[in-house]
Amino acid sequence: MQILLVEDDVEAAGHLCQGLREAGYEVRHCADGAAGLAEARAARYDLLIVDRMLPLLDGLSMVGQLRAGGVLAPVLVLSALGTVDDRVEGLRAGGDDYLVKPFAFAELLARVEALMRRASGDNRLVSTLRVADLEMNLLARRVTRAGRNIDLTAKEFQLLEFLMRRVGQVVTRTMLLESVWNLHFDPQTNLIDVHMSRLRQAIDRDFSPQLLHTIRGSGYCLKDPGAAA
Amino acid sequence: MKLPRLFASTARLALWYMFGVVVGVSVLLGSAYLFTQRTMERNVDLVIETEIESLREEFRGGGIKRLVSVLDHREDDWGRLGAAYLLVDKQGVPLAGNLTSWPTSFQTSGPWIEFEITLNEQGRAVDHPVRAAVVTLDGNRLLVGTDISERRRFALRLRQLTYWGVGLTGAFMALSAWWFSRRVAARVRAVAQACESIISGDLSRRLPIGSTGDEFDQLAGTVNGMLDRIEQQTAAVRVTFNSAAHDLRAPLQRVRGRLEKALAGAQAGDATDIAVQAALEDLERVQRTLAVLLQIAQAEAGGAGLPPERVDLARMARELGELYAPEAQSRRLSLRVDADAPACIDGHEQLLAQLLTNLLENSIKYVPAGGSVTLAVRQERGEVTVSVADDGPGIPGSSQAEMLLPFRRLERDAAAPGSGLGLSLVAAVVRLHHGRLELRDLAPGLRVTCSFAGAS
Repeated sequence: MQILLVEDDVEAAGHLCQGLREAGYEVRHCADGAAGLAEARAARYDLLIVDRMLPLLDGLSMVGQLRAGGVLAPVLVLSALGTVDDRVEGLRAGGDDYLVKPFAFAELLARVEALMRRASGDNRLVSTLRVADLEMNLLARRVTRAGRNIDLTAKEFQLLEFLMRRVGQVVTRTMLLESVWNLHFDPQTNLIDVHMSRLRQAIDRDFSPQLLHTIRGSGYCLKDPGAAA
Repeated sequence: MKLPRLFASTARLALWYMFGVVVGVSVLLGSAYLFTQRTMERNVDLVIETEIESLREEFRGGGIKRLVSVLDHREDDWGRLGAAYLLVDKQGVPLAGNLTSWPTSFQTSGPWIEFEITLNEQGRAVDHPVRAAVVTLDGNRLLVGTDISERRRFALRLRQLTYWGVGLTGAFMALSAWWFSRRVAARVRAVAQACESIISGDLSRRLPIGSTGDEFDQLAGTVNGMLDRIEQQTAAVRVTFNSAAHDLRAPLQRVRGRLEKALAGAQAGDATDIAVQAALEDLERVQRTLAVLLQIAQAEAGGAGLPPERVDLARMARELGELYAPEAQSRRLSLRVDADAPACIDGHEQLLAQLLTNLLENSIKYVPAGGSVTLAVRQERGEVTVSVADDGPGIPGSSQAEMLLPFRRLERDAAAPGSGLGLSLVAAVVRLHHGRLELRDLAPGLRVTCSFAGAS
């Protein structure tokens, strides 16, 4: 998996490159927009991570030119601005996800994984989601585990659907706030934890093995114990 | 609703103008009518007076006999000249003239009398008005008059003409007043609409300038020049924000990277691990404060250009109520959301969501266990109000205004975590949406109410 990182802050880029390599990705780094544009056109990358404010060529213009030139690789936009409008502009210019600095590396990694999976076409239209013996019927809006009915509120259902569609991936609290509650800012971070512990009660308490795991320092992960690691 | 009032002002002006012109035309045509009518009357009277004078001469020269014979000669002239004569003696017996008898009913005006005679014209009885003068000559009475039906008809025509003239002028003026005020109102409305859309954030919009170069075009040109300046300044402010955000966040990102690296090398639970964890938590706090500050700055600067979208605040309140319910429960607070009917406004969704979460978090943070928090969203008469009421410690009335300023906190809350920016952001978001913010001390408790214009 090849990632192109376009970031002018050399030290921050160093941390990111190192972390991504440790996570098993191949990373190339460009320090300005013009070089990034040339590099992204020259080689095939699975993912681009582009800082918004870049010397020579602004990050959003760079993404716009890539998109216009037919480059479809997913783009994660990094921004130091972080205002509401900035996020919308980033997505409109052709970015697929948006992350405000400063962010935890775990947050970046989770989003990189999510974008990679999405790009590999893992988002089929299905009527039923299944993880081990946990089953979700999207049409009847019903959840069962080992054949037993599980009552969930509408939001708990949405949370679980989000997790089941990303089985085996780490999902951060911010990702959940953004996708399930459509909140693109940071309220109290422990809000999500309470909801997740309720969800865990519902799907894991009376059953074995445990499916919903807390990943320290990152977020949550729904794991299928039967699946190869 | 300012537009109808603008229309009314031009219409009122046009109506006054129309009223003035109609009065002027009425006076002009009316006096022309009166003058013509007087002159004609005077002419008739002069003819009769002259005739009487000449008949008097005849009488003086040849007595009653001469007069009778003159009158007999003139009888035939009736049909041609429309003259009427009658000479009666002391007993009232007619001696000469073309009238059969002395008129029985007549109106007098000064020395003049007016009466009607009935003539047989081709088998039809036709009334003819006659104006006449009477003189006494040696006890005999002589009446000399003239048919004034032609004159009456002319006066009637003139009167009708005057009415039509005034009426048509009035109608024409009303029509042009309507057209004029519509035209002016349409141009004013175009300016007002452009300004409204500029106020609601579309700073790139400009007023339309016509080709005539009239006062409206000059005004539009001046306003556009002003807008150019505002846009330049806003852009400059935006560049400053962006640089500030960048220069503050880039180093934070590096700090974060170093701390995470240090954390990776530490043993869970050892001194480094604990210190780094604490540093990361501080970093998050700084990060959050910075985010809110930048958001306040952006909202105060006018939202930076994204057009507003339709937002259902009631739905947002229900969802946030659900998000915060477990948190409220764990603090043993009762959180009630009263927002059943949709209540839409045109605004910035994320900023409004932040407004609601800030109000909720404030209440949840400050209300002691066992208390209650109510989030209500209502739409009444085109206005959407969002209120968060609690029975916590409240904010005394004297400190309320100050609490809306950044970094102001009550002394009693100094120990509680928080940046003192929550209400400032609320105030900035309300201002950005042209809303109203009201804080009320419920003693005990606080109610914060934000009112916005509902979406049309």
